[in-house]
Amino acid sequence: MDLSSGSHLVTGKGITMSEALGMGGETVVIGLGIVFAVLAILMIVLYIFGVIFNKKPKADPTPQKAEEAPVMQAAEAVQEEDEDELIAVLTAAVAASLGTSTYNLRIKSYRRVPPKRPAWNRAGINDVIGNRF
Amino acid sequence: MLESFVSFLSNTGAAALFQNGGLDALKTIIMLAVACVLLYLAIVKKYEPLLLLPIAFGMLLTNLPMLRDSSAIMMHTEWFTDSQYMINEHGHMNIDVGMVVRNGGLLDLLYLGVKLGIYPPLIFVGIGCMTDFGPLIANPKSILLGAAAQFGVFFTFIGALVLSACIPALGWGVKEAASIGIIGGADGPTAIYVTKSLAPALLPAIAVAAYSYMALIPIIQPPFMKLLTTKKARGIVMEQLRPVSKTERILFPIVVTLVVAFIIPDAVSLVGCLMLGNLFKESGVCDRLSKTAQNELMNIVTIFLGVTVGATANAASFLTASTLGIVCLGLVAFIFSTCGGLLLGDIMCILTKGKVNPLIGSAGVSAVPMAARVSQTVGQKENPSNFLLMHAMGPNVAGVIGSAVAAGVFLSMFNGL
Repeated sequence: MDLSSGSHLVTGKGITMSEALGMGGETVVIGLGIVFAVLAILMIVLYIFGVIFNKKPKADPTPQKAEEAPVMQAAEAVQEEDEDELIAVLTAAVAASLGTSTYNLRIKSYRRVPPKRPAWNRAGINDVIGNRF
Repeated sequence: MLESFVSFLSNTGAAALFQNGGLDALKTIIMLAVACVLLYLAIVKKYEPLLLLPIAFGMLLTNLPMLRDSSAIMMHTEWFTDSQYMINEHGHMNIDVGMVVRNGGLLDLLYLGVKLGIYPPLIFVGIGCMTDFGPLIANPKSILLGAAAQFGVFFTFIGALVLSACIPALGWGVKEAASIGIIGGADGPTAIYVTKSLAPALLPAIAVAAYSYMALIPIIQPPFMKLLTTKKARGIVMEQLRPVSKTERILFPIVVTLVVAFIIPDAVSLVGCLMLGNLFKESGVCDRLSKTAQNELMNIVTIFLGVTVGATANAASFLTASTLGIVCLGLVAFIFSTCGGLLLGDIMCILTKGKVNPLIGSAGVSAVPMAARVSQTVGQKENPSNFLLMHAMGPNVAGVIGSAVAAGVFLSMFNGL
């Protein structure tokens, strides 16, 4: 094989189909291999970073709990009192989103879906993302 | 009186338009029309206007009809591509910088910054100042997605060689194929950096293709993202990223520069500058430099880069079959890069038993932050309470490093040929 400078097998000009596939395949294996190798080494470095620098701070959780407890109880109490009002609000909300009248609806039961984020919070984040980028 | 009027008329652009006959006049008019279409896309459609507008106007300036050897010519593309204007140094044809400086127009002088490889690294300094590598440091495995998304670069390299074998008239060799492939890195400065070294004649077509497709990412990517992922996988909520300490953020750019330099020195001018900018930002002691690099410096260089790259697009180099081939292969490159990232995303999803959302794989193409935003948008369609943006920024910034490394690989393999 002639691999002297200027040969068509080096410059790739005027090569045949099989030569093109051969040269291309070789470059892909070497090139993609090097890219993966470099980034894999960086990945290992980053894992080492994580081990060295990501020591979990030892927090003492007891004082926080003591503060939260009474607030939670108060919240539950409020919820029980406002049962009728809550059902009225839910009925209105469902009616509005289905585009029907509240007379056609009856709320039999409701259950709080554990949210990852409150709806308004979510809408706000979407808004920021939409504006920013 | 009459004589001077006639001499004025013969010096007008309208007279110059027809000096080489009707065909050249037609080509000039087509190029001016192409420039106007690009201006329309930039101004009305807002496709990457900060780059497309200078590129399009540079194209307009360079194609204005001028008399031969007129001192009003702003750009002499042939000085940079035609070997008869170059000087032979130890068997390598190099541009005659002295002649360019003595006789060149404004754009010739500014183009030296592209040709000598000054602008793209400077842009990378600015990008580094704006990049937050935190999501990548917090989730190291996402760096591999940035590598997988370079698949399109290498696939298109084969594609270009095969196309050239089918149509020998294109005259493409490995250098041209590498320059076309790098479009798939979805990184304008990197594509320009590779092309100006390996295939300067293709520079305008490759720059226009790269920047246009980057603007079209929100249209190109979603169909393939849906095709290559399952509905269930798209809805996966990933666990929150750990907080990253300042020490890690400061060490990261230094370590990356060292690692890349030890393995692939040709990538250092890009990666090194990217990391320099990032260190400006993360160190917290170079606030003024960081602000300048990401605002004033970057804007100035973008103007120079855009106008001069556009100005290389004269009829002789742009209205060719090569341009058509580059436009098609550029799209192939983008699609396969997207698919490469997505497929590794799928594999990671399976290996981690559903902890990785494969959609973040497509963000491995380095168009920051568009590609990450597309992952976010597609993911949110499946699960409205899902926020993939920060998870997708990991592969996204890894893609910048990945495409710079791919560029370094091509330069080290083919630049000496």
